[in-house]
Amino acid sequence: MATRYLILILNGLTQGALFFILGSGLTLTFGLMNVVNMSHGAFYLLSGYIAYSIVTSTGNWILAVLVGGGFMAVFGLLFERILLKRVRDGGALPQTLLTVALSMVIADLTLAIWGGTPLTLVVPRFLNPPIRLFGITYPGFRYLLMIVAVAIALVLYFLLYRTKFGIAVRASVDDRETVSALGVRNDVIYVSMFVLASFLAGIAGALGGSYLSLSPGEDSTILTYSLVVIIVGGMGSLGGAIVSAILLGQILSFGMAFAPQWSMFLVFVPMAIVLAVRPQGMFGKRV
Amino acid sequence: MGKKRLSLILGIAVLVLLILLPFYGSRYTITTFTRIIYLAFLALSVGTLVRQGGMISLTQTAFFGAAGYIIGLLGVERGWVFPLPELIAILGVLLMAFILGLVVMRTHGTVFLMLTLALGQICWAFARQNTSLLHGWAGIRGFRPFTVLGIDFTNPNNYYWGALALLLLGLFVLWLITNSPFGLALNGIRESPKRMASLGYPVYWLRVILFVITALYACVGGIISVYATGIITPTTIQMSRTILILLMVILGGSRYFWGPVVGAVIAVWLDVLISQMTPRYNTVIGLIFVAVVVLAPNGIIGLLDDIRNGVKLPQLKRWWNSISAKQSRDSSV
Repeated sequence: MATRYLILILNGLTQGALFFILGSGLTLTFGLMNVVNMSHGAFYLLSGYIAYSIVTSTGNWILAVLVGGGFMAVFGLLFERILLKRVRDGGALPQTLLTVALSMVIADLTLAIWGGTPLTLVVPRFLNPPIRLFGITYPGFRYLLMIVAVAIALVLYFLLYRTKFGIAVRASVDDRETVSALGVRNDVIYVSMFVLASFLAGIAGALGGSYLSLSPGEDSTILTYSLVVIIVGGMGSLGGAIVSAILLGQILSFGMAFAPQWSMFLVFVPMAIVLAVRPQGMFGKRV
Repeated sequence: MGKKRLSLILGIAVLVLLILLPFYGSRYTITTFTRIIYLAFLALSVGTLVRQGGMISLTQTAFFGAAGYIIGLLGVERGWVFPLPELIAILGVLLMAFILGLVVMRTHGTVFLMLTLALGQICWAFARQNTSLLHGWAGIRGFRPFTVLGIDFTNPNNYYWGALALLLLGLFVLWLITNSPFGLALNGIRESPKRMASLGYPVYWLRVILFVITALYACVGGIISVYATGIITPTTIQMSRTILILLMVILGGSRYFWGPVVGAVIAVWLDVLISQMTPRYNTVIGLIFVAVVVLAPNGIIGLLDDIRNGVKLPQLKRWWNSISAKQSRDSSV
């Protein structure tokens, strides 16, 4: 019995790790920079499919993850420069519509290219050895995913709180005009954060596609989970994203095991409670 | 004055054409217009929140679907007869909107948008996942229109007239709301919530009430929809439906009273045309979306307004700049 719970907890942590990688990217753009990005889920799906094609043609999984992330970073850069920048001053509505439109186009084109059958990336044996810990055998890749998530969290923390760039980012969240007057280029900050978020979505797509399956509709499901993570955690808060990603992972894992038909409903309950008490999320600043 | 009379004559002409539609339109045209009507209710629900409250809600489609599911559970599966399931559906949706409204109205701007998106998605995923009550992907089928006051609504013409009458009633009520002190207070809240609060307006509760009222519109649309299509499934409330509704609101013009209705007419016919022409439907719709947002941010009505007012290109640019400046002021509040 205890092993069953242990497995459920580990499953939840695996999910939580993926949610954190996705949510951290979203919380940086959406929460910190106030850039509405509804195409985060579509970025995840697209890079997952690209990584799938690379794995099936070259067999090199690590290359696939890097190309998936890199492709999304370039894609994010182009999208921000060519379209999103134009409507950035127009408020939330045009940004929403533009990114929603982009995600529709991406979802439709991935359906045309990769079809509707669920696909999963093949992880090489040396990255996915069965590991025996705490008396249970668990796929090594899932431990790897958790390690990657922790590494990303550390890098992001370092970037935001220990570098000049991070200081500029956090300062421009509080007072864009002053930071701009001090000689920091706001648009550089915007675009680099957007590229970083796209890169993270890309990495997440390749990682998620390696143990979940990639299929049409997965983009909006993933977007929903990422939104829940950043809403519950609090806009722009890395720590909040970590806590709420783990929480969401556990809720889904235990929900699927004990009340499979109600797990989505169970996601709603903590979200409503958190927002009723703290509308800005667990670790969000009051706006 | 001349302008006003012209639009009045134009309006009456359109109305007469719509009422007489079953006499000259094909069966397909009539069912398409019925579809326009129930989607227009949903578009009015979303559009009113944008226009009156400056809030982009993506939960409204869930209310639309909830009405259908409640009628399905009570009317179709338990055999309750009109008007009991419909009334319970309305009450149920109002209650649901009130509870959700209490939560979502604590947030503003982007957070509101994300939260309502997440709620809408959770409802969709729940409908898809729950097989014991809502039958998962299969949904509920077998809705049959009924006879009320001697009018047989299984006849598509009668059904169309009934739906049209409801839409006109709905628009009239909405017009009353817009011009009531309540509607004006909402406009004030959209422009400056803090100022309205300091004037003593219960900002939070007014916003909750607006949310409940708009949910009612989505609910009526949902009721018309289930009897028109005969079926409710999770696809009824999936994200692409919500997006199509947003497209309607923007296409018509989110700042105009008639925007959602005009947008619904155009978007549904676009939908019909595009799905006949290409299997890459979503790509085309997405690109139209991009074009509207970048080129005509005030929609078709806005565009027509500009043409009528003789706006020349340099002026158009200045106007666009002033609009974007205004909107960013709104969103920064």
